[in-house]
Amino acid sequence: MSYTIKTKLTKTFIYIFLVILFLITIVPVWILLINATRSTPEIQQGVSLLPSNNLLNNWKYLTGKGANIWRGFINSALISIPATLLTVHFSMMTAYAIQVYDFAYKKILYNIIILLTIIPTQMASIIGFYKYMSMLNLLNSYIPLIIPAIAAPPMVFFASQYLESTLVKDLIESARIEGASEIGIFHRIILPIAKPGAFTMGILSFVASWNNFFTPFMLISKVEKYTLPMMVKLLRGDMYRTEYGAIYLGLAITVIPIIIVYAMFSKYIISGISLGSVKD
Amino acid sequence: MTIMSKTYNFVGLNNFKQLFSDDFFIKSVLNTWKIWLMNFIPQLGIAMLLAVWFMNNRLKIKFVGLWRTVYYLPNLLMPVAIAALFYNLFSRYGPVNQIAVRAGILEEAFDFFRSPGWTQSIVAFIQWWMWFGVTILYLMAGMSSISPSYYEAALVDGASSWDMFTKITLPLLKPVLIYVLVTSLAGGMQMFDIPYLLTDGRGSPNGSIMTMSVLMYMKFSSGKGFIGAGASVAVMIFIITAISASIIIRLLREKE
Repeated sequence: MSYTIKTKLTKTFIYIFLVILFLITIVPVWILLINATRSTPEIQQGVSLLPSNNLLNNWKYLTGKGANIWRGFINSALISIPATLLTVHFSMMTAYAIQVYDFAYKKILYNIIILLTIIPTQMASIIGFYKYMSMLNLLNSYIPLIIPAIAAPPMVFFASQYLESTLVKDLIESARIEGASEIGIFHRIILPIAKPGAFTMGILSFVASWNNFFTPFMLISKVEKYTLPMMVKLLRGDMYRTEYGAIYLGLAITVIPIIIVYAMFSKYIISGISLGSVKD
Repeated sequence: MTIMSKTYNFVGLNNFKQLFSDDFFIKSVLNTWKIWLMNFIPQLGIAMLLAVWFMNNRLKIKFVGLWRTVYYLPNLLMPVAIAALFYNLFSRYGPVNQIAVRAGILEEAFDFFRSPGWTQSIVAFIQWWMWFGVTILYLMAGMSSISPSYYEAALVDGASSWDMFTKITLPLLKPVLIYVLVTSLAGGMQMFDIPYLLTDGRGSPNGSIMTMSVLMYMKFSSGKGFIGAGASVAVMIFIITAISASIIIRLLREKE
């Protein structure tokens, strides 16, 4: 078989494989969005790849049952936005210190930070943490969900890898000569340069915080303080048991914002992740 | 004795001793490993395959950006929503059953969630679905730092594609592979969201998707206050992860 025919066959096979994976990835999401527009009888009758016209009815059912999805959105935003800002800022600062300064035990401390990434959430944020927060009277508050975001070992690792390849030490030297303070240098010179990496970290942290089910579930019991994931769990409860249309619509609402943001920023997100994971 | 009591009994390592004779614990460990392996082995295999294809200069695959963007999407969706979605998809009257019956593959609707094997496979599939896109990105990033001159020299020497892969790509990918393995392992051992939210939170059917985390939560939230037992499960998750991670690192580390 000639070389070009073999290559062409391989390529055809590869493209078929890629399309199959594409379908496996997209079809569940597509069905989710489509079913949000169909009525329950329609859904029970069969699969459809085209939307129907029951959106308004589903909406009325969804919001009519007393579960306030918007409250969930607001609560989640109240937690995720501050948490993301804290994580990005402090992880960048830590990574900056590791890359630029030399101090006693630096290597050991950095290795410890990396080791911290494998500590299970179950161990660190649940049982002991619950008792701790309870003693501090901070249950049903958002503080234990926001403040700990300052310490994010995986993000420190990511920022460290990123800064390693983008930092130019001469810039810092010249700033020092000009009389800038260390903190000033970090905020005014390095952060603007590290914007792409910070942006990626921001997206990753935000998504993780937004989608986080476990920790709010452990700490919050008042329904009006429920975060969005917790509200989604309610969708599977008795209130909505068989109103499939409304259930799908509820799920779709939680998923659409992410899809829209992703569609707008996918280039940055993808390239950012690739950048932060290269090891030399 | 609940978590909030001021008094406690110091029982030393009793909780751990009890764990090892607890059938549920042993089962949860096996479940966690089984589901993780069912997810991770295909994940690494397929991601590696795709990464190699995408980076291959001879093949010149088009639309790489599109493929990568789409495959990464499931990672961004809310696990709560994903669990609810797939529960509906695979339910008795859901799309999977509908299509299968109409296409004649099944005679009548099959209750996937009554079968332990199928439920475990669905959890493993969901985990795969959520994570294979990220793995592709990491592997490609690692491969992009391998200098093409190695491959060119190998081609001149008459090496086959397989040789180039096993003798150039794999060894030079070791740091990235370690990273991917360890992070996936750590995440896998802690698997909670999907197993808990897919069925009824107790690992149905028959405890088949009760992972270590689900067991821990069950002990923690049970009215009888098995806090000590729950906490010891959490510590075991950590110990198992730490030991496995150090084995992986030791096996794969570059020999200086």
